[in-house]
Amino acid sequence: MQYRSQSVAYWYFAVAMVLFGLQLVFGLLSASKYLGPDPLLYILPFDVTKVIHTNLLIVWVLTGFMGATYWMIPDESRTELHSTRLAYIQLFLWVIMGVTAIIGYLFRYGTGNKLLEQPLPHKIIIVICMLIFLYNIGMTIKKSGRFTTTEGVLMLGLVSSAVLFFPALLHYENYTVSIFYRWWTIHLWVEGVWMMIMGAFLAYLLIRLSGADREVMEKWLYVIVGLVFIAGILGTAHHYYWVGVPTYWLPIGGFFSALEPAALVAMAIYAYTAIRRSGLAHPNKLALHWTVGSAVFTLFGAGLLGLAHTWPSVNKWTHGTLITAMHGHAAFYGAYAMIVLAMITYALPSLTRHRPEGGSSIGYWAFWLQITGMFGMTLSFATAGIGQVYLERIMGMGYLDTQLKIQVHFLMLIATASIFTVGVALFIYDFFRFAPRFIFEDEPQLEAGVTRSTP
Amino acid sequence: MNNRQARMFAIASTGISVLVFLILTLDSHRQFDTLTNAENITPEVTHGKDVWHKYNCINCHTLFGEGAYYAPDLTKITQHRGEAYLQAYMRDPAKFYDENKHRRLMPKQNLSEKEISDLIQFLDWVSKVDNQGWPPRPILVTGSFIPGADSVAAVAAGSADNPAGIRPVTDDDDPRAQGEHVFRSAIPACNACHSTAPGANMAGPTLAGLVTRAEAVLASGDYTGKATDVEGYIRESVIAPSAHLVPGDMYSANGTSFMPVGYEDSLTPEQLDHLIAYLATLK
Ligand code: HEC
Ligand code: HEC
Ligand code: HEM
Ligand SMILES: [Fe+2]
Repeated sequence: MQYRSQSVAYWYFAVAMVLFGLQLVFGLLSASKYLGPDPLLYILPFDVTKVIHTNLLIVWVLTGFMGATYWMIPDESRTELHSTRLAYIQLFLWVIMGVTAIIGYLFRYGTGNKLLEQPLPHKIIIVICMLIFLYNIGMTIKKSGRFTTTEGVLMLGLVSSAVLFFPALLHYENYTVSIFYRWWTIHLWVEGVWMMIMGAFLAYLLIRLSGADREVMEKWLYVIVGLVFIAGILGTAHHYYWVGVPTYWLPIGGFFSALEPAALVAMAIYAYTAIRRSGLAHPNKLALHWTVGSAVFTLFGAGLLGLAHTWPSVNKWTHGTLITAMHGHAAFYGAYAMIVLAMITYALPSLTRHRPEGGSSIGYWAFWLQITGMFGMTLSFATAGIGQVYLERIMGMGYLDTQLKIQVHFLMLIATASIFTVGVALFIYDFFRFAPRFIFEDEPQLEAGVTRSTP
Repeated sequence: MNNRQARMFAIASTGISVLVFLILTLDSHRQFDTLTNAENITPEVTHGKDVWHKYNCINCHTLFGEGAYYAPDLTKITQHRGEAYLQAYMRDPAKFYDENKHRRLMPKQNLSEKEISDLIQFLDWVSKVDNQGWPPRPILVTGSFIPGADSVAAVAAGSADNPAGIRPVTDDDDPRAQGEHVFRSAIPACNACHSTAPGANMAGPTLAGLVTRAEAVLASGDYTGKATDVEGYIRESVIAPSAHLVPGDMYSANGTSFMPVGYEDSLTPEQLDHLIAYLATLK
């Protein structure tokens, strides 16, 4: 850690870790309800566990993004943060928002609109937090006078995320229109502007972990940005097929979303060649595992499994089945969970005391157990989903009877999810095992990467 | 390609995509009202939508295929279930489904009567939105691999192209074969509620052994309808379900059958004849 103010990142990461753990508790609860019967039917029914599961995901990933940004910006702009005070106020507000939202969901206090369940007061606090955040980051960069391309892409992602949240604040009389704009937030986040955030973190990590040349890395980052937006923006239409919009969205959605994997292939090649050509320049090999792992798992979960059901003539049969859950889990984990874990793993040795720079064996177990577990979960959802599509959608067997026939896949889901959970538990344990550096010590250069970063 | 060209590529491709997307969005707004029958969005429908949101139905069910995968899709539910059925079901799902059998049950939602009826209006509006004919084949709540529900012949009436695998019927086919087609294509489809396998009761009783049962009912003193022969009994069951009720709490309430009314109008007289000819084969 070169700049004292970077230590705010620790607290963001710590909150993210706790929420990640909680997310899995509610995920496992939801999965066990698939098996049924449900002893908690009137205490904690499926809709409640599921809404908490997905909301915790969004909140912890965003917390991770913010922490990682507070970590990265001082490094890139070579300055202290504009205000650590604001950063702590923001975190405090954010946690209050998150905790009260979750408590509310237990009593079914929410908007009942998928993934945008946060009640209006909570959405307003979210906006306030985003504004504080963007102001703080913006001022830091402005004061330093140094604005790198990597930062530019990150800021583009963060500002657009805030802008795209606005349609979610409005009220729509027509259910179809409300679906139409819901995707402006959800799809354009995960397949558009969050990709910028991910791409920027990826570039930052690769530049520091490998000896890759900044000039070259940033040029390709632009190309990735272009590819993401060419395909991703009109690709929104793959959510418009069956919801009551004009027919022309079908071919548009099919064509452009089929192009989306191009950007993900580019990202994976980007990571691979950076390491291949320039070699390792940093002792933190564990962070490298997470970084490259993220690029590869995204290609698999988002690229391959997204492509698998994005064409209208396929989606017609798979839409609204467990096939969507298969893709959603692998894509979200690979792209956003893993990139946050990569940033955490990279920053942690300098945020905490006495932590081995190269990662511990617990850290490696956490990595491989998570990868294995998530891969198994994806297969479980996939096999369950294929069974469902054939029996229910094609053969015409009733929904409830079909679900009975695919019970074995739910058992498999719970087994693999347990492996995943062990991996996450180890990661969390490893995170909290070493005390944070509360007081900044004047240490000699800790990170080789920092000294060698070229403009 | 140098850095500047790469940047131009990023900016230009983003700009063009955004522009095209916005133009298409504007055009969609021009069409939303027609496609969704916006004139039918009454205050009741709007209230029904609020009820849908308030009770978090979306985190178990899907609507237009969007939501959660713990419970059946409800996009076309009002085309499968009559209003009386849905009202009774919403009051207490446990009367209709057994958690031990399906390992899942919808918890009772404690809705007011007004909420229930507006919700049904909302779901009915949803079922009529022009959504490119999705789902391509009706999604049933229950049913299984049994004659009647297993075959690949279920198709929504009126959709022009028969999905792959379907055997279309023509006027030259046997009337009973045409009747079987009606059994799956009437709206609401009969096979959404009835199987033709012995013992497989769904939302309606199984129609296996219908003829034998009809004879027994007509001969017993309990019959309340006007029919005098088996064919008349079947016809009456279809066009006036409440005339005589199959006993059971899950089939009717206060003398009103949960089977939808209106088949007399929605089916042509020939279709009705074919249907009855088909049902009369279920001995
Ligand atoms: C906790 C999950 C859950 C919630 C919340 C839920 N449902 Fe259900 N619903 C189910 C399940 C499971 C079924 C399948 C039948 C059964 O087990 O009762 C079902 C079935 C249905 C059916 C079909 C019944 C039939 O036989 O055709 C309708 C209609 C329905 N639900 C409407 C709603 C509405 C409206 C809401 C919101 C007010 C809602 N559900 C909330 C789980 C849920
Ligand atoms: C929403 C579910 C539903 C649909 C759709 C439905 N029914 Fe029924 N049906 C019922 C119920 C419930 C009963 C039992 C109550 C009664 O006697 O009316 C029943 C009873 C019957 C009976 C009498 C059975 C007996 O043993 O006496 C016949 C015949 C019948 N239905 C035929 C049909 C046909 C033909 C169609 C399609 C045109 C159809 N049903 C559509 C729910 C349904
Ligand atoms: C990191 C990138 C991605 C993430 C995080 C992601 C995540 C998700 C999630 C969570 C859903 C479920 C949304 C809901 O039902 O509300 C979803 C749906 C979908 N995704 Fe992705 N996705 C990504 C990339 C892609 C790509 C690249 C494609 C296409 C090539 C794609 C195709 C689809 C399709 C077609 C659906 C709709 C499924 C349906 O409901 O029928 N996704 N995605
Ligand atoms: Fe998408």
